[in-house]
Amino acid sequence: MRNYQQEGQRVKLILNIIVLGVALFSFSRRPDTYNKSSAFEVFMIDSITPLQHGVTVVNNQLSSFFEHYVKNVSASKENLMLGKRVSDLENRLFLTEEIRKENIRLKNLLEFGVEQNTRKILAQIVAWDSSSDYRVLRINKGVENGVRLQSTVVTSQGLVGYVFRLTKHYSDVLTVLDANNKIDGVVERIRVHGLLEGDSEAKIKMKYVTRTEPIILNDLVMTAGLGNIYPKGIRVGRVTRIERESYGITQSIELKPEVNFRTLEEVIVLAEPVNAQKKKEWSALDNSEEAQK
Amino acid sequence: MNHQLKNLLTPLIITIIILILLEIISTVILPIVGLKYYILPFNILVILFLGFKVRTPFLAFLILILQYFHSFFTIEGWESGTIVGIFVCILIAYLKEFIHFSSKLATMLVTQIFQTCWFLLSSSLIYLRASDLEYISIKFWRFLPESILISILSPFIFSLLEKIWDTSEKGMLGGES
Repeated sequence: MRNYQQEGQRVKLILNIIVLGVALFSFSRRPDTYNKSSAFEVFMIDSITPLQHGVTVVNNQLSSFFEHYVKNVSASKENLMLGKRVSDLENRLFLTEEIRKENIRLKNLLEFGVEQNTRKILAQIVAWDSSSDYRVLRINKGVENGVRLQSTVVTSQGLVGYVFRLTKHYSDVLTVLDANNKIDGVVERIRVHGLLEGDSEAKIKMKYVTRTEPIILNDLVMTAGLGNIYPKGIRVGRVTRIERESYGITQSIELKPEVNFRTLEEVIVLAEPVNAQKKKEWSALDNSEEAQK
Repeated sequence: MNHQLKNLLTPLIITIIILILLEIISTVILPIVGLKYYILPFNILVILFLGFKVRTPFLAFLILILQYFHSFFTIEGWESGTIVGIFVCILIAYLKEFIHFSSKLATMLVTQIFQTCWFLLSSSLIYLRASDLEYISIKFWRFLPESILISILSPFIFSLLEKIWDTSEKGMLGGES
């Protein structure tokens, strides 16, 4: 009996060491900026997520029922107001279209750069991450819909995040609220750069901005386009708090995201076509880093 | 002590199904009712149950499998939870003589204590990787309400899991099943 117990203890110790070793090795090798899933993980996520999707669909239909039939009292008044707003927006759209054409003409004149042919994929949020340490949402579009790893995700209000993990039919989006999502941002008014980092609540920190920069409350911060993930000029948030000490090099800045994550239901994925030149540059960079190691 | 892996297979599969259902509740249903910033970590509760009640040399392997299934719902991955889970279960094994589940309140208290151990260990791992104390302090303020809710739920989920794992002995834990 005692031998049997000792044998069990020995097996337990060996298994603990093996599993801990494998987990520590994998933990140290885990990339921070994306997650390439194995075929089994892709299969499992694609099999489980329809359950999450189903619950979301049922909820949306119930909400839709209440929105359309129960709370439909002031719909006609709202309809009139929306009609006016549509005509106003149509006018603005016409002006914007003119500006866009002018912009293309001027860019061509200046040979400013090649315009990216970005595809816009509308996606619905089906779930949130099951760990509160991460601000990640799962959307119902994947590889088969044209989404790629590290594709930018936006709404009409501004930046949501980028695709961190991808399966055939679903993607996990690392939002701007996540502390692991680091973005090079620029203050629209004075073109000052800083590092944007989520702090897991409904705000974003802007780091490494020198104390002398004249940033004011309500300044708009946009993506700077550096880092090869986000395109330039997407709205991220507005400055809500500035803390300048009489000492030190930098100032502490907080932003409120332009996107309201509490009510977010649909997003747009900006799927860029595979750029052979960009791919070549990345693989050259990877190779040089490995050679240095 | 259960030395045969085949005896663990059926309860493990049922536990995985329960974990998947609980994860769906915490990732879909709770955010729908407005709980987007506080997510209940049901994987911790299930692993604590295994540490408290299941006496098997394959415990590390069971934790690994449960964490692997948990990783389908989070980008956290299976690694950190597996490392912390194994250390917490080693701690439970050392302290098993002092752990009692005589009442629902005692179960909640014990669960809260070991969730705190889980928090301290996982925070250490985060600090080793990111060296960011501010992030850990934010995590602590989220941990408080989440862990209290998990502790309140623990007697009910433990009684369900006891039926599945057939470990329904009363009183002090740590006796051979």
